[in-house]
Amino acid sequence: SLKSLIILFDIESGYYPVCTSDILQVQLSFPPPRLFDRYRDLAPQLVPLDYTDQPDVRLPYELIGSMPELKDNPFRQRIAEVFSEDGEGNMTLDDFLDMFSVLSEMAPRDLKAYYAFKIYDFNNDDFLCKSDLEKTLNKLTRNELTEDEVRMVCEKVIDEADLDNDGRLSLEDFQHMIVRAPDFLSTFHIRI
Amino acid sequence: MSFDDKKHIRGQVLALKSFKKSRHLNCFADCSKTVSLAFRRCGANMTLAKQTLELWRGTMKEVGGKFGTGVLSYFKFLKWLLMFNIFSFLVNFGFITIPQLIYHPTPDIPAGVSFKGLEILTGAGYFSHTVMYYGGYSNKTQGTGGRSEYNMQLAYFFTVAAYMVLCGAALIYSMASSFRKKYVLADSGLGGAWQLLCSWDFSVTNEKAVRQRKNNLRIQLKESLSEKVQVALLPLTERLKHYGVFLGTWLLSTGMALGCGASVYFLFSGSLLEEAATLLLPFVVSLINLVVPLFYSLFKKIEHYSNPRMQVYAIIVRNVILKMSILGILCYYWMKDVANTFSCWESIVGQALYRLVIMDFLFIMLGSFFGEFLSNVIGTKCIQSLGVPEFDVARNVLDLIYAQTLAWIGIYFSPLLPVIQIIKFFILFYLKKVSLTQNCQPPRRAGRAAQMQTIFIAILFFPSFVGALSMVAYTVWTLPPSDKCGPFRGLNTTFSAIQIWMDDLNRVDAFQWTVWIYQHVIRSEIFYFLVSLIILVFIYIFRQITQGRQLLIILLRQQIVNVSSSELSGPTCLVHQSCCVRSGCVYVMMLLKCRSNIFS
Repeated sequence: SLKSLIILFDIESGYYPVCTSDILQVQLSFPPPRLFDRYRDLAPQLVPLDYTDQPDVRLPYELIGSMPELKDNPFRQRIAEVFSEDGEGNMTLDDFLDMFSVLSEMAPRDLKAYYAFKIYDFNNDDFLCKSDLEKTLNKLTRNELTEDEVRMVCEKVIDEADLDNDGRLSLEDFQHMIVRAPDFLSTFHIRI
Repeated sequence: MSFDDKKHIRGQVLALKSFKKSRHLNCFADCSKTVSLAFRRCGANMTLAKQTLELWRGTMKEVGGKFGTGVLSYFKFLKWLLMFNIFSFLVNFGFITIPQLIYHPTPDIPAGVSFKGLEILTGAGYFSHTVMYYGGYSNKTQGTGGRSEYNMQLAYFFTVAAYMVLCGAALIYSMASSFRKKYVLADSGLGGAWQLLCSWDFSVTNEKAVRQRKNNLRIQLKESLSEKVQVALLPLTERLKHYGVFLGTWLLSTGMALGCGASVYFLFSGSLLEEAATLLLPFVVSLINLVVPLFYSLFKKIEHYSNPRMQVYAIIVRNVILKMSILGILCYYWMKDVANTFSCWESIVGQALYRLVIMDFLFIMLGSFFGEFLSNVIGTKCIQSLGVPEFDVARNVLDLIYAQTLAWIGIYFSPLLPVIQIIKFFILFYLKKVSLTQNCQPPRRAGRAAQMQTIFIAILFFPSFVGALSMVAYTVWTLPPSDKCGPFRGLNTTFSAIQIWMDDLNRVDAFQWTVWIYQHVIRSEIFYFLVSLIILVFIYIFRQITQGRQLLIILLRQQIVNVSSSELSGPTCLVHQSCCVRSGCVYVMMLLKCRSNIFS
């Protein structure tokens, strides 16, 4: 069961030995000042200073997308959607902290690959199919490649990366490709 | 994994925690919990303070945002080298200079020598009698009138030795971890997939930079699409021609490097002691270091490497050969001729290094002016086709490595040289940042920044640090120190100070174990032979393990293709799904851990 998995993980994984609920408790009561200040600065009238009773405050996507770190990023909408609880881009403090943890320098490669995969997966079907790749390409090249060129690039990507030959990229294919691109850790990174 | 699952797991974890809590209701657990929470809060506040004090954080963020991670790696490298020098300064100043200043507060400067302005450039004159150089330190065991003893010889030797050992350890550790993380599994031919999915730099925050990157990516994708498959075998004549051209350019570049080294050596036949003339040598050396690499980059037009990365590697190797051969010739001259000719030769060598450092700094400024400012002016106003220059990360990093090599060689001869180096790097950071933002554009090709980083650290370790260490080791082990100045005057070699100390310790019964270690471990050859043998055996074993694992990877890859080409049946589907759930849990755990990491 999930519960036993958690216990198993705690003891056997060799991860941070303190129970994860301690981490949750600390963070919900004392969110680290700098990130919390940035969150609060987006909407000071909505965000209370005291988070001990875990208020349900959600900042709309427009505010998140206007942050200087995100406003020019072609994937800002997808990033907000992936990390938000409701899937629409409206983020609670928890989501905000999650987002910047994953995009920080210290996140492990697997975690970054998992979230990068979700960001590029536009239709949320756990696979990067051709339409997902086409949308990614269009976001990255300002719609200036011709239809043929777009199609050829996407085919080339799938050819090179699809290990199990099902015509679309699963998370494992994506991770395998990431392993061979050592720059990924430093490019999938937002400084705050 | 959906957010509901995430929330579900979090709820479970909290329930587990309250379950655990309800079992231990005693006071002790409560107290320890409060204490540990208080500690963690304190730790978080301290991290916040440390981050606000962190050097140049805002500037690096700005540079990374506009120019990307490739250019940012230069500034990170500069900051890392600055830390080495700050540490060196603290160690030398604390253990060598301060005791000297306590016991001899005023330097004995002979009559008739006063401070003129020229000393800042030449390092000679007034400075040569101060604690700046080796000659300014006394050899007496300090301690008069009731103050405790301080053996200056041992302090000098052990400070330099400890600093070199720590530097070496730090370099080996960085090199190994960088190699493991960034180099090992890198593939050279991913092409389209890599460019599309992994190379977008999320840290770029400037609108203009983003637009430029999009353009570059588009151009690169178009290029990779229109590449024709190259004929694997060119006709024999073409291949011979290519190899002939390679041989010619390599011979020419190596010949130029050795020729420059020889000319530097023959320059020494001129008089050395007049103050203004002493600047001639560093001037020539820095001029060679500035001009000859420009020749090397001209070779690019003639050679045709199959892989553009090989081009960059070729340029790096040639520059390293040039710089290291010049430094090698200089060291050879200092060890052979200067050591036998002059009376206070260590100070003379220290002064020569000081001049080299200062002149190198002036020439880097000049190089920045010509390389970046003038190129920008020419590219935008005069010859429009050239365009705005790019920031050449490789050349600038090699300049930094050269500067740091000089500092490492100088650690024995001039204990306060790190001060000059710190000032130099500080000014260089701001200079390069201004030059970059005013004159350069972001790089057009998404370069392999991570792999280049590993190579730069490797170059910093192998020719640079190892060379400096071997020179200092040779000086300490073999060369007789000068008779009239410095902490080791009167001894046969610098290392004899340790021998004398060991003889002193031998007379005291309590320290016999130290003497035993010295005689049977440090001075015996058998020990080093055995250690080398054991290390070689381990290397062989690990290599076999690595090769076995590579074979396993190939087999597993084949298995994936085989398994997925057969249809997914019911049980396999379930396995797949439970794998997804399991991996989802793993990711939530990693996320929680990652969060705690960025806050601690």
